[in-house]
Amino acid sequence: MNDAKSTVLVVEDDLQIRRFVCQTLERADYRVTEACTMQAAQDEAGARPPDLVVLDLGLPDGNGVDFVRVMRDWSRMPILILSARSAEADKIDALDAGADDYLTKPFSVGELLARVRALLRRADPDSSPGTPLVRFGDVEVDLVRRSVQRAGEPVHLTAIEYRLLVVLIANAGKVLTHRHLLREVWGAGYAESTHYLRIYISHLRQKLEADPTQPAHLRTEIGVGYRFDTQAPNA
Amino acid sequence: METDSLERFSPVARHLLAVLACALMTAICLLLRGVFDITNIAMLMLLPVVFVAARLGRGPAILASFVTVGLFDFFFVPPQLSFAVSDVQYLVIFAVMLAVSLFISHLTASLKASARDARQREQRSQALYSLARTLAGTMSADEAVAAVVRFVREQAGGEARLFVPDVDDKVREFPRNTGPLSMDRFLTIEAVYLGGDAVGASATVNLDGSCLVLPLVGSTRRRGVLFVAAHAGDDHLYELRSMLEAVASLTAIALERLHFVDIAQASQLETEAERLRSSILSSISHDIRTPLTVLFGQADALALAGSHLDDQEREAARAIRDQAGRLHEMVDKLLDMARLQAGKVNLRKEWQPIDEVIGASIQLLGDALREHPVTVTLAPELPLVAIDAVLMERVCCNLLENAAKYSPPATPITVTITNAAPSLVVEVRDQGPGFPPGGLKRVFHLFERGTAESSAPGVGLGLAICRAIVEAHGGTIDASNPPEGGACVRFSLLCGQAPQLEPEPSDPAEAQP
Repeated sequence: MNDAKSTVLVVEDDLQIRRFVCQTLERADYRVTEACTMQAAQDEAGARPPDLVVLDLGLPDGNGVDFVRVMRDWSRMPILILSARSAEADKIDALDAGADDYLTKPFSVGELLARVRALLRRADPDSSPGTPLVRFGDVEVDLVRRSVQRAGEPVHLTAIEYRLLVVLIANAGKVLTHRHLLREVWGAGYAESTHYLRIYISHLRQKLEADPTQPAHLRTEIGVGYRFDTQAPNA
Repeated sequence: METDSLERFSPVARHLLAVLACALMTAICLLLRGVFDITNIAMLMLLPVVFVAARLGRGPAILASFVTVGLFDFFFVPPQLSFAVSDVQYLVIFAVMLAVSLFISHLTASLKASARDARQREQRSQALYSLARTLAGTMSADEAVAAVVRFVREQAGGEARLFVPDVDDKVREFPRNTGPLSMDRFLTIEAVYLGGDAVGASATVNLDGSCLVLPLVGSTRRRGVLFVAAHAGDDHLYELRSMLEAVASLTAIALERLHFVDIAQASQLETEAERLRSSILSSISHDIRTPLTVLFGQADALALAGSHLDDQEREAARAIRDQAGRLHEMVDKLLDMARLQAGKVNLRKEWQPIDEVIGASIQLLGDALREHPVTVTLAPELPLVAIDAVLMERVCCNLLENAAKYSPPATPITVTITNAAPSLVVEVRDQGPGFPPGGLKRVFHLFERGTAESSAPGVGLGLAICRAIVEAHGGTIDASNPPEGGACVRFSLLCGQAPQLEPEPSDPAEAQP
């Protein structure tokens, strides 16, 4: 599935986890480079820019969040964070700094590969269909005519609901933090008014999801933000 | 100063000295009688009065005035050596002389008295400044009290005692019991401390002239009472009232400052302890999670990838993975509980719809709920609640996990959210055997399992964690076995006043109907 083998840089200070992640990726036919410190990772990424970075946040010589920031100064390559469950604040900082997704330890081979695949696909300019029509579930969004239909019936969205949906669609597959969404849709002054976001997401779910209480597309990343998926998780 | 040296003498001695001074001057004038005429003699005779008034005080000065006039008459006014007066005009001299000398003695003596007062006042203010300096620098209440007691003894000639509230807000002497105290005095002290508005913000109660009771008024509350008793037979305490009030307010400020220093130190200690605890917890959790992550991942890789493994080996790899996953869950729960019990729970509360957290929990549990259809029923128009989403998700996950674990496969789990203003009630029900009878309260205790040796995995932390989190939110949680069967856990959260949304300006051009 990787015609021109994608390169993944694995940045992780724990030898065993690094070995496991590298082996898994190699078995899935990726080219893998590794680094165990932030400095080494920066050197490696600068010398041979990879297609994707898998990054552990707790590095011996610095915070992974700083690495993300430095990377985002010059590159848009996808960054996948590995984090512990109880480290929401670090996760949010990394995502705000520009990381694309995170994986909570412990994770299975399947989860790791699925995330890596999804991020590489998003980053690949050839794979983007470039179509103004987005379909998910029984919903169809026409980004040119700014219209939303569900099962053939038009759905009325308010201006903010529509803008929120468009931001989510434009970043499909990516975790968007509350702060990021609020800034994009409402503006910088609303960065702490998370209840706005939550209420509008709930409106969107009611209008677009088959079961608003168990959303398949507009998914909650608890304590972090939201993620839009065109495909339902188990479909 | 040296003027005071003559005041040491007894009153009688001072009067004698006054007479002596007049006699001395008379003797000198007798010698000079040939040189000066009588008017100049009269001037010279007034000198001792000035001296006596300045050095010996008012009484001797008045005596000296009369003695001077008498001696002048006797020795110098013709006929000499007799009090008889030959010429009436001398009477005018006597009258003027007496008036002048009385006036001088009065003036000089009062000047002197006010100089002495000023000196004393200055000395007291110096002492007050130095007390203020001492109190500002003192680092313990004992030092402060000792400084106040010393000051009152030296400057007011009284005994000061301090009464401060103990933990139950009862006034107690500090330091304890320096001497006997009658009951009614103690009651007055208590009344002044509790007095508040009734006694007035800076009330000073003058017990019977021999003692004063001054409240120590701090900026936020009364810090205690200063009790000053005059030494026996002394009743000038009331005159010193304003000075003692200043002392009381300095003491109050000092005690208040020391109180806040204590609080600051305690809170710094607590912060330190909190930081230590959380750094220990996070390093433990990192150290345990890392090997488990490797174990879980490698077993998973083995179970998936190994084409050279037979079915049994693959099954074993899967079992290792599942057990590692379970172990990880337990570690998570233990660490959660440790965090919740370690002290204050820091809630990151945000206003949000509760169903979002429930939806996220269902999504997160994923495979664990595979065999149980979950239905969520919402009452319409549910208010937002201020909750820590991450912690509340743990509650929902634990409840759903328990429901799945303790009910037969394929039976549904229902989550019902109702609005029971002022609370929001969430109910999770399964169709399993229910909680053991009689143990409905116990299930929330630590390490309490539904059934003692249940085959279902777990350590008995789930519900204890739920309770800790819900209670940290100010809510309640309880378990029941509803008559329809199954088990039901219900928790409620106070809704509070959710922030309002600015209505969205309607702009039909933006979106399609």
